[in-house]
Amino acid sequence: MLLPILSFGPMLMAIISFIVGRYSKKTRNILVISTTVAAFVGCLFLWPINTTFTIKDFCGVGLSMGVDGFRSLYALIASFMWMMTALFSPEYFAHYHNRNRYYFFYLMTLGATLGVFLSDDLFTTLIFFEIMSLTSYTWVAHEENPRAMKAAGTYLTVAVIGGMTTLMGLFMLYNELGTLSFAGLSAVLKEGNPSTTIVVAAWLTLFGFAAKAGLFPLHIWLPQAHPVAPAPASALLSGILTKSGVFGLLVVTTRIIPANKGFANALLVFAVITMFTGALLALFSVDLKRTLACSSMSQIGFITVGISFMMLLDEEGSLAAYGSILHMVNHSLIKLCLFMCAGVVYMNLHKLNLNDIKGFGRNKPVLHIAFLLGALSIGCIPPIGSGYNSKSLIHEGILEYIELLKESGQGYGIYKFIEILFLISGGLTIAYMTKLYICLFFDKAKETTTHGNRKYINVLSSAAILTSAVILPALGLLGKALMTPLAERSMSFLNLEILEHEIHYFSTENLIGAAESIAIGLLIYILIVRPLMTRKTEEGLVYLDLWPSWLDFEKIVYTNKFVMTAVPTVITALVRFIGELPETIVYTLKKTVFKKLSHKKAIPVGNRFTYGFGLFLNSIASGINKASRGRTHLRTDNEFVLAAVSKELINGTNLIGRSVSFGLLLLCAGLYATCIYLLFFR
Amino acid sequence: MHICIAILLPLIGGALLPLFKFKTLRSRGIYVEAIVILTSLLIGYMLLNRTDTIYNLYTIMDGLTICFRIDGMSSIFLGLVAFLWPLASLYGFEYMTHEERPNSFFAFYTMTYGITIAVATAANLFTLNMFIECLTLITLPLVTHKQDAASIRAGRKYVYYSISGAAMAFTSMVFIIFYSDTTEFVLGGVLNPSLISGNENLLRWAYVLAFIGFGTKAAVLPMSKWLPTASVAPTPVTALLHAVAVVNTGAFAVIRVTYYSFGCDFLRGSLQHYVVLTLACATILYGSSMSVKEQHFKRRLAYSTISNLSYMLMGAALMTPAGMVGGLSHLVFHGVMKIMLFYCAGAVLVKTGKEYVQDLRGMGKIMPYTCAIFTVGAIAMVGIPPFCGFVSKWNLLTAAAQCNSFIAGIAITTLIISAILTAIYLFSVVIAMYFRPLNAEMADLEGLKKDPSWMMKLPFAILVITIAVLGMYSAPLITYLKDIALGFIF
Repeated sequence: MLLPILSFGPMLMAIISFIVGRYSKKTRNILVISTTVAAFVGCLFLWPINTTFTIKDFCGVGLSMGVDGFRSLYALIASFMWMMTALFSPEYFAHYHNRNRYYFFYLMTLGATLGVFLSDDLFTTLIFFEIMSLTSYTWVAHEENPRAMKAAGTYLTVAVIGGMTTLMGLFMLYNELGTLSFAGLSAVLKEGNPSTTIVVAAWLTLFGFAAKAGLFPLHIWLPQAHPVAPAPASALLSGILTKSGVFGLLVVTTRIIPANKGFANALLVFAVITMFTGALLALFSVDLKRTLACSSMSQIGFITVGISFMMLLDEEGSLAAYGSILHMVNHSLIKLCLFMCAGVVYMNLHKLNLNDIKGFGRNKPVLHIAFLLGALSIGCIPPIGSGYNSKSLIHEGILEYIELLKESGQGYGIYKFIEILFLISGGLTIAYMTKLYICLFFDKAKETTTHGNRKYINVLSSAAILTSAVILPALGLLGKALMTPLAERSMSFLNLEILEHEIHYFSTENLIGAAESIAIGLLIYILIVRPLMTRKTEEGLVYLDLWPSWLDFEKIVYTNKFVMTAVPTVITALVRFIGELPETIVYTLKKTVFKKLSHKKAIPVGNRFTYGFGLFLNSIASGINKASRGRTHLRTDNEFVLAAVSKELINGTNLIGRSVSFGLLLLCAGLYATCIYLLFFR
Repeated sequence: MHICIAILLPLIGGALLPLFKFKTLRSRGIYVEAIVILTSLLIGYMLLNRTDTIYNLYTIMDGLTICFRIDGMSSIFLGLVAFLWPLASLYGFEYMTHEERPNSFFAFYTMTYGITIAVATAANLFTLNMFIECLTLITLPLVTHKQDAASIRAGRKYVYYSISGAAMAFTSMVFIIFYSDTTEFVLGGVLNPSLISGNENLLRWAYVLAFIGFGTKAAVLPMSKWLPTASVAPTPVTALLHAVAVVNTGAFAVIRVTYYSFGCDFLRGSLQHYVVLTLACATILYGSSMSVKEQHFKRRLAYSTISNLSYMLMGAALMTPAGMVGGLSHLVFHGVMKIMLFYCAGAVLVKTGKEYVQDLRGMGKIMPYTCAIFTVGAIAMVGIPPFCGFVSKWNLLTAAAQCNSFIAGIAITTLIISAILTAIYLFSVVIAMYFRPLNAEMADLEGLKKDPSWMMKLPFAILVITIAVLGMYSAPLITYLKDIALGFIF
């Protein structure tokens, strides 16, 4: 019973807090925070439970929710993130408009997201997923400026098309297999090669989830939407909503087509491109939140690489699976911390461009500590960077697969290449985080940004930021004690075995991998970022925006001028043609076969009566005129007036007669045809 | 006998309306509402005490009788109409304070109720055809109510299209009369196998004729142009008649003819089957894409109606019991959803005089209640759970997938593409309402609250609750529809 309460409860509270918020802002804030805390406590109760819950016939198909190790973990993380951002929100939104709307959709999305993570069949996942997409739209559009509106439009388009495509995939699966429940799917599809229908269905299902996760080539919304949303919302968008996409990805890869090599390789290609381009975009960006957003994209790429290798390795895929799951967890928590740091910057300066905010972090210990811990974690710097633990597991997974191919004597060059790209992407991560870190905390500040000794953060917000920051080194240092159990409890969801041997996070192999990445990262920073992407001026270092503006994936591929004009034109023309067809035929007939013989527009000609009567009236009128006013000519000729009236009358009757007779004519034609047929041809 | 009263009560009540001299608007409102509610209650009573008797009104000649019966399918349509009509009248009272000659409007509006009941309860093809033609005639004054050039043109177009459709339907009816022992509706068809042997192909073409003929009312291609033109009528008309009552009689009649006269076993798998299915698919795409392009708010909804009506026709054209369930469920759900969307359009039109989509910018702050309702309606219409639009679309998709042929694949793709297009043309309105600033020339409206009075708000609230409840607990209704489609209950 706890499961539906966790997902529908926040939605109910959303409505209540919306109503309350119209009267008292303070009560509303307390209500929102206590709701998120309650959700967190509720998720804590789920920790040891393994249960399912179904509402039959909900929406005609039935709602079924369930919880196990992985799902309770992710529900907990989600509610934790909501709790932290709820603590951070009151200060951040102090000077915002439309707060009531924000909080309403904030809680709605909490319910929907918990619903996604607690679902037990794909149908339920999709229901909550759709609700989540729609409600989170308002976050992106919150600022209501043109940039936000464009980003929000892209977000909604991708979400709706993705959702519908996934629905189609689910629908094919349901039709083929008769079930959509997680347990049912893995039972049906365990054996043998999947049929073409299943593979197609899997890709379609994947589409919507991949779009939400921000996988190339569906990533276009991500670098636009995260920066324009308010900071607490972008923390959630980046930290948890993308993970709901990854959740779907996990379901597809482990339930629908488990261990399918072709599928895994294709997914790997997209994952690698996402990983690398994300990091590259982040390096080029000169906007704090955009850098973080692109970094999210890149990290999703890392996770998906892990998932692909988990599929490739099949039963030995546990190591890669551990890595993927843990990297998901890490990334959620890291991005929570980093986006809240960005939020602190934004709520004080209302700027995000690196050149406007540089040096802001000087002498601000809370911000400094939080950002540093986040940066170390995402840069995967051992020993306190928690990201190190998970990423090195994925790396081990890659090496394991290469080893496997070596043993069986197959070519492994391409995977070696992927490994190198993996390390380079890790290096890029370090490079762009260093860039941000140095910019924020070491560059000389402009006078406008020094900010004096004004208070820049209140107690509640700093508590939220520090809490989310200190978890990271704890996870990093105590990998064995904290991270391994988290991964182990998730394995049953992925239908994989728990590793028997212990995991050594700080083995020499892993440390060498990390060292390579760090070296690459520092080299990139020293050799490329410093000399090429910045320029020294009198005001200090200036960060250059070097990304060419024409190189915009969305513009080139999706909103291409040609596509955007040609396709609608062709479709409209076609549709118009079909729609106008019957009337065109009638019109052509009227102009050709049923053409009127003459079109003369002459003076109205009446009949005998109007002529006579008109003349009669004329003579009376002229008589009166002569007698009373002394005028000889008439103003109006009554003969023509009467003629016009009579003509109008005739026309009117004709019209009525024609429209009825037209119907009767058709009726009779039908009758005649039938009679003739009945009489002669039967 | 009850049926006859239910038909005659609104007919006579409406016809007498111009004779009374009502002192106030209020008293006329009470009179109309009393008649409508009384009729609805009567229908409710009949639906609860359903018997399988045929009420024979009049026999013209042997084989041509006017007779009524409430069977399963009638009960669905009757229930929908009886539920919506009182709400629509209530809404009409406030709306019509802004139009001229409300007396004649309400007279014909109420009379239409009677005819619609007659269509729904018709027990044989002849009665059905006759009353559908009556429906055309009685709604014509409603379409031309404004009596300006545009509405007269629209009315003429409406009559041309409808009469042509009726002629086609009539022709195919003659075939049915000739090739079967009875014209009554029997699930599975009434064609006499010994009579039709050798002429199967011809009869199937007669079915295509009936599909297009009755489909004219449901605006199937190529007979769909009249509906957007007719949206010049006052909103209560476009909402109730051109989104629910009149156009649904078209879909209703097509489902009747398909499953109860020709019989789906006779038609399934033939060339003609694919012809009608293609027509339905083409209309769906036509309606949706025109709707995306249309900037006039009510016409956009009218195009949307065209596409959604063809969802029902597709349900008929699938020719399986599951297809019938899908079609009938969409008939009910679409009725409820679309009437709500039209009401929102009408409320905006009455209160601010804005009728184009770009004028709706920032309306969310001026008419918050109306816009919230519209948003729910839009979400339901796109087919996003947990609202009812999802259920019927899911049913249709399931039905299409069970057909397991190439054309079924096309049907599925069509439905999905149409859903995406629906999202585009409805969400763009929602986004304009909430996230765009007010138009410059509407700045004087800033800060005002222009939501309509309770007479419009009450129907809104009831409809929203219906949409949510039908979406979440559709099981009883769907089971009932399944029983009807499989012939478990009469």
